[in-house]
Amino acid sequence: MRVVVAEDVMLTREGIVRLLEDAGIEVVAQAQDAESLLRQVRVTQPDAAVVDIRMPPTHTDEGLVATQQIRTEHPAIGVLVLSQYVEPSYAMRLLEEHPEGVGYLLKQRVFEGAVLVDALRRIADGETVVDPTIVARLFGRRRREDPLTELTAREREVLGLLAEGLSNRAIASRLYVTERTVEAHVKQIFLKLGLDLNPDSHRRVLAVLACLRGERPDEI
Amino acid sequence: MGDARFAAGPRLAMLTAAALALAWAIAAIVAIDPGALSPTTYAAALPAAKPADIAAGVGLILAGGLAGTEERARRLGVLAVLAGLAWFGADLEGWENGPPFLRSVGAAVSPFMLALVFHIALALPHGRLRSTAARTAVVGAYGITTAVSLGRGLFRDPLLDLYCWRNCRDNSFLVHTDPGIASALGDVWLWSGLAIALCLITFGGHRLVVASGPGRRVLLPLLGPAMLVGATHTAYAVTLLRTPLENPESANFAAIFLASSLSLALLALGLVWNVLRFPRTRARVAQLASELGEAPPPGTLREALAAALGDPGIDVLYPRRDSRQLIDADGRPTKLPPSGRSAARITRGDRTIALVLHDPVLVDEAELGRALGSATKLSVENEALRAEGLAQLHELGASRTRIVEAGDSARRGLERNLHDGAQQRLLALSYDLRLARAGAVADRDEEFVAVLDTAADETTTALDELRELAHGIYPAILTEAGLAVALATLADGAPLPVELGDVASERQPPSVETTAYVTVAEAIEDAARRGASFAAVRVAREGSRLVIAVDDDGAPRSSRLLHLADRVGALAGTLHVGDTDLRAEMPCE
Repeated sequence: MRVVVAEDVMLTREGIVRLLEDAGIEVVAQAQDAESLLRQVRVTQPDAAVVDIRMPPTHTDEGLVATQQIRTEHPAIGVLVLSQYVEPSYAMRLLEEHPEGVGYLLKQRVFEGAVLVDALRRIADGETVVDPTIVARLFGRRRREDPLTELTAREREVLGLLAEGLSNRAIASRLYVTERTVEAHVKQIFLKLGLDLNPDSHRRVLAVLACLRGERPDEI
Repeated sequence: MGDARFAAGPRLAMLTAAALALAWAIAAIVAIDPGALSPTTYAAALPAAKPADIAAGVGLILAGGLAGTEERARRLGVLAVLAGLAWFGADLEGWENGPPFLRSVGAAVSPFMLALVFHIALALPHGRLRSTAARTAVVGAYGITTAVSLGRGLFRDPLLDLYCWRNCRDNSFLVHTDPGIASALGDVWLWSGLAIALCLITFGGHRLVVASGPGRRVLLPLLGPAMLVGATHTAYAVTLLRTPLENPESANFAAIFLASSLSLALLALGLVWNVLRFPRTRARVAQLASELGEAPPPGTLREALAAALGDPGIDVLYPRRDSRQLIDADGRPTKLPPSGRSAARITRGDRTIALVLHDPVLVDEAELGRALGSATKLSVENEALRAEGLAQLHELGASRTRIVEAGDSARRGLERNLHDGAQQRLLALSYDLRLARAGAVADRDEEFVAVLDTAADETTTALDELRELAHGIYPAILTEAGLAVALATLADGAPLPVELGDVASERQPPSVETTAYVTVAEAIEDAARRGASFAAVRVAREGSRLVIAVDDDGAPRSSRLLHLADRVGALAGTLHVGDTDLRAEMPCE
């Protein structure tokens, strides 16, 4: 697998590169800002890009903007966005335009086990990745009428993994059940949460996150 | 005793002058002899010309006399009388059977009429020449007129003058016959007269254009006719160039004469109008003085002055006690405007308490000084004190805002340092641990692997805590993405359910966004403390203000959240704290 890494802090960039190479992934190019990132992506046509959300010049959301551009121009290239902040808004913004082939991870998670490689593989396959911390934060949000109380414990488990972007097959292997079972659970969950959406739709992650945030489904 | 004697001298002189002027005018009127074979005055040539001629001359003399009774119009009055006398000089010159000496004097003074009108035009509205350029021009006009008049008197022999028509016989001042010089001087007079007339028109036009509306109304009654005199003289000079022999019976010359007379009559009327203005202003000023003496409502001094002096553009500025800065009646710093208006100083002792900026055409400094006698100065000083007080209030408010902003700025800096410093280093540390672990696994050192796993867990915990700490100090997302996004995140982690209603999505100034965020955060915490089961938050833009409303269902409040009121107040906003509701409003441009 070939990736491009974009990160303006040298120490962190080198760390990510070493980690990737350690895991057998080829880093074909490095960039320090959005402009050079886009250039490198056009030139090297990697399988995926690892992009820091904060880059020069404003150090706010350059990474998000660049992601949209890459996904629009090169639908085959996945993008993994890294951030130091647990920001559900950023994750949802990421998923709004292109729900597949993107991911949002906390930088500190990158150094845990095979998380980075795993995420890249899923993204390159066109799936979605949402950091579990963000999902946990949204799950923990206090609600007045909590629709989650209507779900069974198993259903809540499935919902959590779904919100992290896992596919039905991945959820099945994580919980040691069949894919069929997972499909049934997902259908039930959507019914109970009042989500009017095809349970296999690419936009399901975004729908779930929005629902967890208390935003009404028709606002999505 | 001494005063009476002092007053008697000038009065005697004035009476003598009046008598002489009267005699001169009568003589001129008598001089007009309509029956003469070949007319020597315009008045004799046309039936319409006689009343016009008399009206012009008498009008000027009488108007000038009237102006003499009003102190501030005296200078203009004197000039007008002299102009009237010069005007009649032409009639005296044409007195066929009159005394030769009188005829010669009439000839000598009549050219001065133009220079006098020029002087009047430049000396408006108070009768003083205000600039060196004006003084030079007027002196030049008089100079040339004197030279020509003197020269013609000394060297012109009427018997040898081809172009004479008024006086072809008498010249009591003739010293040496030189038709060449006389004719040359005649040409000089033609061209210089034309120049003076054109100067008059140009200058008058410019003055009218640059004046303010009310100023124009004051200038026009006098400047208009003066410019007309300039125009008629221009026409006269041009006609003379084409037909050097002046003929009062020709239509051109006759029309020009009538026009001149009319213009001068209008000038006289304009002078009368100008003079009548003064008593009216005096009455208003007297009323103003009594009003000011009775302590008018604060902040109304400017309006009172503007109404009394007829200058709506008047401004009153006050110098601050400690600095040279100028403030207006509301305490706001003002700069002295570059030009166009005069500044009159109002002093108390040796200290300037106010500066009055006024249109110099409409208001005379002396008039202003009269309006603001010692009794009214108390009112002015009152206003100055009030303005100073307001200025200090503004400064206090500004300093309060600066303090709050400094605090916010420091917190933002702290968060940034944590993010860029400690957090980055911990990240790098976790990477090193990861690599070390990979090495330990390769070496099959299970004990070391366990140690490193523990270390990695500790690092992760440290990173989580640092992140929360930094967020507590200042939520960076607020600067990056604005209030709406930051409040959504706040609601995610709140200790009680938060219903986030519509939140205005436009960005506001940083201090406003920070205060709004802090207000909502504190309100939510306060709701949790009082055992509320939910809180509803709404942020809306109403006009030029941002309105934040937080309602909850907890126990009634006992604290009024003063620290929030301080912060909101520092931004010139208001905070209303009820039992279970809270509403903050802030200006956001």
